[in-house]
Amino acid sequence: MFGNGLIKGLRITWKEFTSKKFTVQYPEEQHTKPERFHGRFVFDADKCIACNLCANACPNNVIELKSEKVEKKKFLTKYVMNIEYCLFCGMCVEACNKDAINFSLEHDMSQYNYDAIPLILVEREAPKPEPKPEEATPEASGEKAEPKVKGKGKQKEETPAASADKSASDEVAAGKAPEKEGQ
Amino acid sequence: MLENLFTNIAGLLRNLLDSAGVPPLWNDVTLLVVKLVAILVFILINALWLVLMERKVAGYMQARIGPNRVGPWGLLQTTCDIGKLISKEIPIPKSADKILFLLAPALVFVPPLMIFAAIPFGKDMVALDLNIGLFYVFALASLTTIIFWMGGWGSNNKYSLLGSMRVVAQMVSYELPMILSVLGVIMLVGSMNLTEIIAAQQNMWFIVTQPIAFLIFFIAAVAECNRTPFDLVEGESEIINGPYTEYGGMGFAMFFLAEYASIMIISAMATTIFLGGWLAPFGLTFIPSWLWFFLKMYVLIFVVMWFRWTFPRIRVDQLMGFGWKILVPLSLANVFVTGIGMYIYRAIGW
Repeated sequence: MFGNGLIKGLRITWKEFTSKKFTVQYPEEQHTKPERFHGRFVFDADKCIACNLCANACPNNVIELKSEKVEKKKFLTKYVMNIEYCLFCGMCVEACNKDAINFSLEHDMSQYNYDAIPLILVEREAPKPEPKPEEATPEASGEKAEPKVKGKGKQKEETPAASADKSASDEVAAGKAPEKEGQ
Repeated sequence: MLENLFTNIAGLLRNLLDSAGVPPLWNDVTLLVVKLVAILVFILINALWLVLMERKVAGYMQARIGPNRVGPWGLLQTTCDIGKLISKEIPIPKSADKILFLLAPALVFVPPLMIFAAIPFGKDMVALDLNIGLFYVFALASLTTIIFWMGGWGSNNKYSLLGSMRVVAQMVSYELPMILSVLGVIMLVGSMNLTEIIAAQQNMWFIVTQPIAFLIFFIAAVAECNRTPFDLVEGESEIINGPYTEYGGMGFAMFFLAEYASIMIISAMATTIFLGGWLAPFGLTFIPSWLWFFLKMYVLIFVVMWFRWTFPRIRVDQLMGFGWKILVPLSLANVFVTGIGMYIYRAIGW
């Protein structure tokens, strides 16, 4: 019959009209996010050994990392992500040996002011080295620095040197650490 | 009580003016002005909310829920939109004809208001009871063409000009089947008075006796107010926005709201002519007559919106072909068949 298609079309839209709606009312209700969602970064300063691997892995140079040497260990003083350049690729998370940096499910990161955009994860003073090193280290450097000293002191005395940019490239150049070339 | 709500208000006002010592002539004039202002307010508020209704219908037909943030259920959304548009500048192109350009959006609400003055909203609820009501309504409905043409010509823009030429072509083509389809009803009633047309549908609506006429009328009416599938006038993919291309701010909003006013008009006209106007069907008279009128009108408005979100736009040649080759002969045939039918009925002796 002529005009059958028109009636069919009207029937379809009517069915849609009366059917259940799929809209999720965003701020009040949200979709469940998958476990491996790439959201805002969370950082565990206790685990970080300031090895700089994440900063090297980053394709956009988002990560700004500063550390000071306290005793024989590196102490992380600043860890800022200029999140406006971040593409949430997850290279830093993959690069981290100590599982210090991770994704969270948080994704509301818009800001009113440009200055507020960088994600300041760590910003702190390094503990001051005491004049008497043997006594002072456990107390003055604080609880945070202590476990690192105990756990990894013997094995990785050379690693901080390797992770610092200059010395790492020196090693690569010298052929000492060929596995680091790709990074 | 509810049935005579509006007539009682009018009577109260008349008595009030009488007791205040106002001469009868001025009394009538004041009452008419009050009625017309009430109709104007009704049209404007309706046009405002029909935009919201359109968006809601669109949303619901696309499995979403439409605007729902501003006000309860999004009821203030379009009010805010208009508030924003009022605060905006109306940019006037350098080469535009300023007078025509600004006059067009200012005048665009005049024909709807004049038409609504003659439409009976309920029992004894008609501002102007004209004996040529139908003629008057059709004459004014085609007046809108000139205003679109003014806007399109005054803009001095090729898209505006093309759009407004399409308005003229489309309206001229579809005016003809529209009026011819109503001719059958006029033949049956023997009068052009809208109140009498409604009274003639006491026993049976004309949609039953004149179904083809209703169909032709409705299709032509949808084309008349430039709605999908006949919205070539503002075909975005072809001519940007037709006659409204150069308009911004409230100038655009007036055209936009006028579209909804004209939907109201065609729905009100179809209700009056074919759906028994304010007459209650199946003897359901406990619902007031004006409520019946609005109920029927809004159902038709919904159908027009339903068309919009279902059908794609047709081509210009299809539009003209459909109008002249199908609707006009069909409506002429309808007039012919109605005449024969009436002759036979009379011969039988009904």
